Amino acid sequence: MTRPKDARKLRVAAVSFLNARPITYGLERGLGEDRFELSFELPSRCAQLLASGEVDVGLIPVAAYAESEVPLRAVPGVAIASLGAVRTVLLVGDAPWTELEEIALDGASRSSAALLKLLCRERGLSPRFREVPHEEVLDAARGRAGALVIGDAGFAAAEKYPHVVDLGEAWRGTTGLPFVYAVWAGRPDVLGADEIGILQQSLSEGMIHRAEIARAWAEAGPHRPDAPELYERYLTENIRYRLGSEELSGVAAFFERGHAAGLFRERARLRLYEQAHATAAAPPVAVRPARPHSVDTLLADAAAGARLAPPDGLRLYAEAPLLELGAAADARRRALHAGNEVTYIIDRNVNYTNVCVTRCKFCNFYRPPTHKTEGYVLSREELARKFQETVDLGGVQILLQGGLNPNLPLAWYEDLFRWMKASFPLAIHGLSPEEIRYIAELERLPIRAVIERLIASGLDSIPGGGAEILDDEIRYAISPLKCTTDVWLEVMRQGHALGLRTTATMVFGFGEEPRHIVNHLERLRALQDQTSGFTAFICWPFQAEGTRLKLHDDTTAMRYLRVFALARLYLDNFPSLQVSWPTMGPEVGQVALRFGGNDFGSAMIEENVVSQAGAIFKLSAGDIERYIREAGFEPRRRNMRYERLAAA
Amino acid sequence: MANASFSGIRDKVRDGEPLTLEDGVALFEHKNLLEVGALANEVRERLHGDRTYFNRNLHINATNVCEASCRFCSFARLEEGKPGAYTMSHAEAWSKLQARLDAHDPITEIHIVNGLHPGLPFEYYTELLAGLKRLQPTIHLKAFTAVELHYYARKYGMTYAEVLTRLRAAGMDSIPGGGAEIFAARVRKKICDDKCTADEWLEVHRTAHRLGLRSNCTMLYGTIETLEERVDHMLRLRALQAETGGFQTFIPLAFHPDNNALMKLPGPTGVEDLRTYAVARLVLDNIPHLKAYWIMLGVKTAQTALWFGADDLDGTVQEERIYHMAGAETPQAMSPAEIVRIIRNAGRVPVERDTLYNVVAEGDALASDKPFRRDVRRHALEVVP
Repeated sequence: MTRPKDARKLRVAAVSFLNARPITYGLERGLGEDRFELSFELPSRCAQLLASGEVDVGLIPVAAYAESEVPLRAVPGVAIASLGAVRTVLLVGDAPWTELEEIALDGASRSSAALLKLLCRERGLSPRFREVPHEEVLDAARGRAGALVIGDAGFAAAEKYPHVVDLGEAWRGTTGLPFVYAVWAGRPDVLGADEIGILQQSLSEGMIHRAEIARAWAEAGPHRPDAPELYERYLTENIRYRLGSEELSGVAAFFERGHAAGLFRERARLRLYEQAHATAAAPPVAVRPARPHSVDTLLADAAAGARLAPPDGLRLYAEAPLLELGAAADARRRALHAGNEVTYIIDRNVNYTNVCVTRCKFCNFYRPPTHKTEGYVLSREELARKFQETVDLGGVQILLQGGLNPNLPLAWYEDLFRWMKASFPLAIHGLSPEEIRYIAELERLPIRAVIERLIASGLDSIPGGGAEILDDEIRYAISPLKCTTDVWLEVMRQGHALGLRTTATMVFGFGEEPRHIVNHLERLRALQDQTSGFTAFICWPFQAEGTRLKLHDDTTAMRYLRVFALARLYLDNFPSLQVSWPTMGPEVGQVALRFGGNDFGSAMIEENVVSQAGAIFKLSAGDIERYIREAGFEPRRRNMRYERLAAA
Repeated sequence: MANASFSGIRDKVRDGEPLTLEDGVALFEHKNLLEVGALANEVRERLHGDRTYFNRNLHINATNVCEASCRFCSFARLEEGKPGAYTMSHAEAWSKLQARLDAHDPITEIHIVNGLHPGLPFEYYTELLAGLKRLQPTIHLKAFTAVELHYYARKYGMTYAEVLTRLRAAGMDSIPGGGAEIFAARVRKKICDDKCTADEWLEVHRTAHRLGLRSNCTMLYGTIETLEERVDHMLRLRALQAETGGFQTFIPLAFHPDNNALMKLPGPTGVEDLRTYAVARLVLDNIPHLKAYWIMLGVKTAQTALWFGADDLDGTVQEERIYHMAGAETPQAMSPAEIVRIIRNAGRVPVERDTLYNVVAEGDALASDKPFRRDVRRHALEVVP
């Protein structure tokens, strides 16, 4: 966005706490000084100023975002978050949490207070809450009264009280997700790509100078001999500054649980400023020196989290010994998923119609609209039975996909979703990009408008199906009527922009070359850099039986494991990789958990598509847990955004 | 006892030092599966490079009538005349071979394993072998497990050497490795109490080796045995091998839980299978080959095992019945082209062998079926109308 030179500067309110210093580091040193006018406030004050229009952009608590009366957008890639202990959002007291009758809340923080209220409610605790000024909060904690301490006061408070609960840790214990305390937010149109870039750049500079920030803070603050190290550890080990996929899931879980507990009136969705070109949203990338790399060096770098360029990916695919590729992916999985847990979900695949105009050669499920006898659209009665069975079996979600049926208008889906939401406690993970694109075409509506209407009627997330190989050379050969790579990605981009989480898939084994596979991974990674909207990647080999494609390609277990491990290394910004036991069998699925997988997918109650093409495996939740345990992991049940759920 | 460290074990393996019971257990317990696999792969490649063996064979299970009551077996205590029980006439058994010959299938081996039938004369077996040899004198007959041979010795009042000598005269060429189960007495008592003892099983093979017969050996894992008992089993085989050198191939057999008295046990899973293969490759340093029996493991896991120590996929196998009665969902046969393709797709070099590991065909002489992905282009996709 270009701005006239004499345009008014944007007023930006940031927080003065230590944990915000890396975010404002660049801005404080002159970065973007011609665009921004920076001031420092308490977090809740930032939100008030933003709401009243006294500032244009604020570093605000996510709870304030959820409660905002005006539409807001968040800056991609920047957050104050923690996965586990945060150390500066503490419930302290002389008595344990369960015995507190009153809790003093620091008036400076909205998110922390909302988080504490939520955690209390979910634990069946109902203490009185009393808001007190930031400076007085510590004095309020005595006897049966606890205090919620936020900010730098937490360091000292943790040592003073016999009972201390770190709310970041409590949140992780409940959900398995990071908690996001604050984000940059503003009105939808105030920030352009340049300004967003500056805010991201300010953090990038701060990330490099965290030790310096810690030293300066120690010199200015109350004297403690261990202060510089303490603060540096805090900035590097406790606080996560990235607003990545897992953080977005953390926000979504907080908003939804908060809404369910009555804390937030609306079920808010965090929406990001859209950006054509983002760099800072990507996780920090280790820079490799420019020299020819041996496969061993590439593997070691990738295992340590370095970003692979397309030629690196091709090289590893072609040359890395299988077990070494697997070991590098396994190391990556361990770095991304501490705690030795493997997740799975209970959901049901419901294919609402098999009528489809696309005629993909690899599909054995569809019937063309002209077919006299075998085309179907499931009735409400049939759907209700399937949904109720799903609920009865502990399922939390319906994966709803179908053919491109010209007889089903958008209103049909809207009615269906509203009825589902009113009748069943199930999330709708529904309509792959191809279906959404087709509805938009039928209705002559923009893709975004279709997704908005679907969200309004109950859509929760979009499954990543229909990606096959995201390279038009291959797509044209196997499914000429299906959407192009660009369209598939555009639907996902729009979904992410509207605050939806989605998955991504790849089906290989159509005779594609390694470069097509690497291109596919590259396109997904590039979009994820911009949106962080994907939660997981799933791949499997083409199931040929009964389809019109004569299988010549290698779809054996060895190739699956190779592609899978490469994907774990290449997709450095995807938190989760799901193994595909329905196609590979539970044995190979289990082995893939040692080749980079951290999720065992779904205890599928029903599947109609790949099972038509020769995949025959079925597993119950109990079976899945056993396979996970025997691979050496702890099974954990989850929902679509990888939020942990209590096993029934 | 100090826990054997992985790096210590790795050094031993690289120095060619035999592993101990503790080492074997430590490998089973080592958390990083791929490290154990990679070490086993080192040994496999040291012994065989990329060469991966298979043969063209036919299975004949001439009778499933069996006196033994092994709890893991779906054939257990099956009496003549009961539903599902069968005993082939000689003509019937021979016709299996004749069918292969008529189909110009150049099989090199027949694998013959039966139940312990209480009502058959010894001549049933000698004539069975002799008839097969009459049909095809060059065919290799790998026949009768040590359990059957022990049973014949008891039943017909002969020594092991006498049984073996008479069967060899009738056409037997080598001995399959079945019936070893787990040598530990505690486990045998519980799962196969009326089968020959560990010492008797080993003595049959010792006798066979002394008579110049080669044999294979197996281990049934995934029932109630401990990891110590698995390693102990391997060590007893290693000790006999050190004495005779007669074993060619070790074949770990995963317990299959359907239709038998141990149905409540879940059976081993893929990670356990691969680990067992890898540990076997490392502990059994004096047995040349390790076979991933695809009938039992499934094709996908068997292929993966080729990177976890295994160098042999068994054969084309026609008419397998034992594992399929226990619920195996694998196909009952694979074509040589399929086996070659699976091996090539694993990045290995297929070699068709005979029973004694003489090369029958390799390179271009094999049924050619190159992996598709290396040489295909988009336009090569064929669409069936």
